[in-house]
Amino acid sequence: MDLFLQLLVNGLVNGSHYALLGLGFGLIFSTTRIVHFAYGPIYTFAAYTVWQLAAGSGLPLWLAVCGGILVAAGLGAASYFALYRQLERNNAPPLIPLIASLGLTIVLENLVGVLFGSGVRTLDISGSVHFLGPVFFTSIHIWQVASFVVIALALGFFLRQTRYGRAILAMTDDPEMARVIGINTRRVSYLVFVIGSAISAVAAALILVKDGAGTHMGFHAVFMGFVAVIVGGVGSLRGAVAGGFLVALVESLGLFAIPTDWQASISFVVLFLMIMLRPEGLFSMARR
Amino acid sequence: MRKTAIAVMAAAGLVFASAAAAQDGKDPEAFRFGAILAMSGKADWYGKVMSQAINLAVDEINEAGGIDGIPLEAVIEDHKSGVAKEGVSAMNRLITIHDVQAVLTSFSAPSLAIAPIAEEKGILLLNGGGVSTALVGATDLMFHNRSLASDLGLAAIKHAGELGLGNMAELVWKNDAGESVAFAVEPAWKAAGHEVVAREAVDLGASNIDTQVAKVRASRPEWIGLWLFSPETGLAMRKLREFGVDVPMIGIEYTGEAKEIAGKYSEGYEYASDYFIASDDNLWSKRFTEAYVERYGEEPEFYAANYYENVYVLAEAIRRAKAKGGDYWDGRALAQTIRENPTFDSVYGGTMTYQENGVAKKRVAIFRVEDGEGTFLNYVTAD
Amino acid sequence: MEYLYHVAVLFCLYAILATSFNLLVGFAGLFALSHAAFYAIGAYATAIMTTSLGMPFPVPMIASIAFAALLSGIIALPALRVSGHYLVIVSLALQVIVLQVIVNWKSLTGGTDGISGVPSFEIFDFALNTPGKFLLAAVPALILCYLFSSRLIRSPFGRALRAMRENESAAQAVGLNILYMKVSIFALSAALAAVAGSLFARYFSYVGADSFSIDETIYILAMVILGGTGNLRGSLLGAAILVAIPELLKFLPLPVDIADKMRLIIYGSVMMLVLVFRPQGLVPEPKGKRAMLVDTEGEDRKADAGWLLEGAHGDQVATVMDGLNLGKRFGGVVAVRDFTIHLKTHRITGLIGPNGAGKTTAFNLLTGFLRPTDGRIELRGEDIAGKKPHELVSAGVARSFQDLRLFTNMTVIENVLVALPNQAGHRVSSLFFKPMHVARQENQNAAVAMAILRFVELDGKAHETASELSYAEEKLLVIARLLATGAEVLLFDEPMSGLDQTTLAEILPILKRLADHGKAICIIEHNLDVINDLCDEVFFLDEGRAMAVGTPEQLMSDPELTERYFK
Repeated sequence: MDLFLQLLVNGLVNGSHYALLGLGFGLIFSTTRIVHFAYGPIYTFAAYTVWQLAAGSGLPLWLAVCGGILVAAGLGAASYFALYRQLERNNAPPLIPLIASLGLTIVLENLVGVLFGSGVRTLDISGSVHFLGPVFFTSIHIWQVASFVVIALALGFFLRQTRYGRAILAMTDDPEMARVIGINTRRVSYLVFVIGSAISAVAAALILVKDGAGTHMGFHAVFMGFVAVIVGGVGSLRGAVAGGFLVALVESLGLFAIPTDWQASISFVVLFLMIMLRPEGLFSMARR
Repeated sequence: MRKTAIAVMAAAGLVFASAAAAQDGKDPEAFRFGAILAMSGKADWYGKVMSQAINLAVDEINEAGGIDGIPLEAVIEDHKSGVAKEGVSAMNRLITIHDVQAVLTSFSAPSLAIAPIAEEKGILLLNGGGVSTALVGATDLMFHNRSLASDLGLAAIKHAGELGLGNMAELVWKNDAGESVAFAVEPAWKAAGHEVVAREAVDLGASNIDTQVAKVRASRPEWIGLWLFSPETGLAMRKLREFGVDVPMIGIEYTGEAKEIAGKYSEGYEYASDYFIASDDNLWSKRFTEAYVERYGEEPEFYAANYYENVYVLAEAIRRAKAKGGDYWDGRALAQTIRENPTFDSVYGGTMTYQENGVAKKRVAIFRVEDGEGTFLNYVTAD
Repeated sequence: MEYLYHVAVLFCLYAILATSFNLLVGFAGLFALSHAAFYAIGAYATAIMTTSLGMPFPVPMIASIAFAALLSGIIALPALRVSGHYLVIVSLALQVIVLQVIVNWKSLTGGTDGISGVPSFEIFDFALNTPGKFLLAAVPALILCYLFSSRLIRSPFGRALRAMRENESAAQAVGLNILYMKVSIFALSAALAAVAGSLFARYFSYVGADSFSIDETIYILAMVILGGTGNLRGSLLGAAILVAIPELLKFLPLPVDIADKMRLIIYGSVMMLVLVFRPQGLVPEPKGKRAMLVDTEGEDRKADAGWLLEGAHGDQVATVMDGLNLGKRFGGVVAVRDFTIHLKTHRITGLIGPNGAGKTTAFNLLTGFLRPTDGRIELRGEDIAGKKPHELVSAGVARSFQDLRLFTNMTVIENVLVALPNQAGHRVSSLFFKPMHVARQENQNAAVAMAILRFVELDGKAHETASELSYAEEKLLVIARLLATGAEVLLFDEPMSGLDQTTLAEILPILKRLADHGKAICIIEHNLDVINDLCDEVFFLDEGRAMAVGTPEQLMSDPELTERYFK
């Protein structure tokens, strides 16, 4: 029972992380329909930037994180500008952006290695340990959950209450119609890339503190974001959150009885079952 | 930069001229050898460290006049963190374009894949990385200057036995290196009357091992066997301690990368490894360490030491073969020379001897991490 | 130069992989990214067969192909129930799971150790164990696989595949068995990938799971997309480029510690640039006339399309099809309720009613596109509920679509050709085992297709691409395509909408003639003159129910209906 509870808590904490990734990736995907794999290396870039600023230049952590957010947002906008926008203009058939995104992923991932050098980076910050009965967690875990809650609420507010937020929602629903009623879909696209990447930077910074950053960390991140969005339902940010938690809980609790040799494929099994049984996802086009 | 010059010379000039050189037993203009390393991908730390060591050794040897005046040249190739077919491509390039007679290899999959090519073309293979059982005997032309991973594992559990520890939980790398250790260790530990209470797999490059750690914790072991390599060793230590698992951790490796990640949690970790320590009674290792620190700004550990050593082994083999005369600059001749006289100076101190199976017999020792550094505890006697 | 030969061997392997993947992704339009799993199965099967069982060629190769085809069936059945982005993910998920199973099944596959020591091909003591010698096996294999793929594509089956990719529902509506085509192409694509896998095992002599990761599928996908989907030559080009570039980049001198990373950056950039400037790929897919596959010699022959244009009951008026108390619910919405209709030969029945009344839903129910939630459908007395659209077409019921759904990138005559029934060329086995029979049928069918085009007076435009037709011509083609199925019961969904008086006057007689020949015709129409002119019996639908049934005159003099609809 103790193990079960611990795994449950692990699942909830990781769920917050995956949900954040799902929110960022989902925002971009639902609005622009672009499978932005390069989301992964941009996340990595953010982590390494934070490390560079905090450990390399000695800035206080919060300032370093801001730096990471700026870098990620910049790269996100640049990706749209340099690559996806061009493809949109040339009327590329679907899934071309996916392949192009893979090219971009290769470029950015190796750029991290060139600019920052290879090897894992860690920050010398340890969370304080807390026990709740048999279950244990650190303050970093609390930060992860808290960041998710704050960002999710902020995003929800932004989408519902501000003009640009509503424009994003409109575009998610029907891009053509959005254009027809006068929404500048290009500007909205830039916006979601910026916001989505910024969110990933927060997640990246937390992981840097918790586990350390590695040059390949982005691949897992973007996959989890992708899975969360699909499981939750494309077009639904609430779904991305639910999807993220579901995947994390299955990953954690699923391995309660199954040997950890299967860790890599457990989330895929969930994904597979979800698509078979309920392809539209948990929430489909439900309103956030 | 010297290393650039060497690499450029090797790569650019020889597309068409290679076939003519060094065919008939005359001295070649340079002893060109290859190194297939993880220069990109998720394990690129290894490639960085290994290539640094190789270049240092090559420069040292050349500064001392090379081998009878003939310089060494290294050509570094990439197998993208262990992709077998990349290793094969690299091997083909090295043989065809650079006309090498020896290759320093790393990682199991590419090594296994290039073994038949080495066999066919008569190329000497020197491996300084992890040695899984699958690698041993892949070809007579391959030599390993590191103890078998499974032997290191057995040394670790012997130490655990000496400490009076009982139930073991394991964290195992999900590849042939890690699994070969678990495979060897589990029956031995059970035969000694103890239990294996948990066995959790860790993927290479895994970032999230919370579940594994939670399961280990729940199994209430008396100690934990870390059959992992960098950087997961460091991650495991950190996570275990963070999760409140206080029992002894014993493993088979400890590197600068692991130290970086584990931070203060590495304290008290013990491991079995080939005995590499820069000490005053081992002048060569001290010199090597100082030179490496001066050139690269970081301390070398045994991966660097192994590849540095392999270059010297190669140089020595060439020297011995040349002394015998004949067509000495040839992979098979070099391998033959090593078999005839398998004892070489070791940067680990003293000498090492290659056994029948091609694996070097080195002194294995148990180390303990204190203040982030590995300190020597005792030697492990062979049994 | 062994190194060059090695690169050539790699090219052969990847060319086979890219070609086979193109069959699936490009020609069938199925973005299923599990190709590396089949590649892996092929490699492992051969490795196990040779090392553990000592089987000689060709047994390991056959085993590889068989296992891959089997696995493809296991993957295809769930995967094909979804499409688009979902198919991408499901197939990726399945690939990861398959590879994980391989890695964990240590006793069979050696687990993470892999299998080494796979012997190369050996003919009378001549072992193909160097790159140069291996080309003797690799190149013929590539040629065979390419020819196989080419034959598959330039065939009636290939034509049907293109139609399916253009518009799946229209393909079903002309009698094509979609499931059969998808599963076949999946299996064939997998089989060819397994051939490459078998060669891989023989060449590298070591098989390990990390050579078959998602990265590999993505690499092959990139080759297909770069080269051009829907074009086999493009696959060869894509493979050549993506194999050559990384190797060529190695000649670029760069500082050692970042060299390989820089090369990968250049590689990724090249990929992006090509895609930005040529998104359809370097060798785009030929469309329309240039891709046409028709035995033009056959076109000129005299043919009697009569049997397609006749009903099956001679001169008798018979009730062919009955829809009895049909109902259809979507969640809480009732689209059709208690709808009864009888379709007779030699008669034209009309369905009218406001938009959203359920007319098209009724058609969908009658033709197998939707399952009724209530009621029964009988064709010549037999209950046909649950039958698939293509089965119904063979049984004699076919429909057209309100939004036309022509195969716009195919030529006019191909639109008709693909609908002709009983084509041996639609079965893969016939393509390879009965080529003469298929060729003869193609010849005859070309003639028949022309005859049908003559019937609707479109023969002059036979080789035009369907997208180039005028609206009126498109409507004629819809009719021609429907006729080509040979179905006795023809359901036309708004065949006359949007046409001017002159064209109407040309088309109306065609429908009348069909009825005279014995077809049972039902049309949905808004144009009341047409209804008046053509129909013997009219159903007025509103809110899913038949509000009134009668002759056109009866309905149009009904005051309530006039109020609701006719004003």
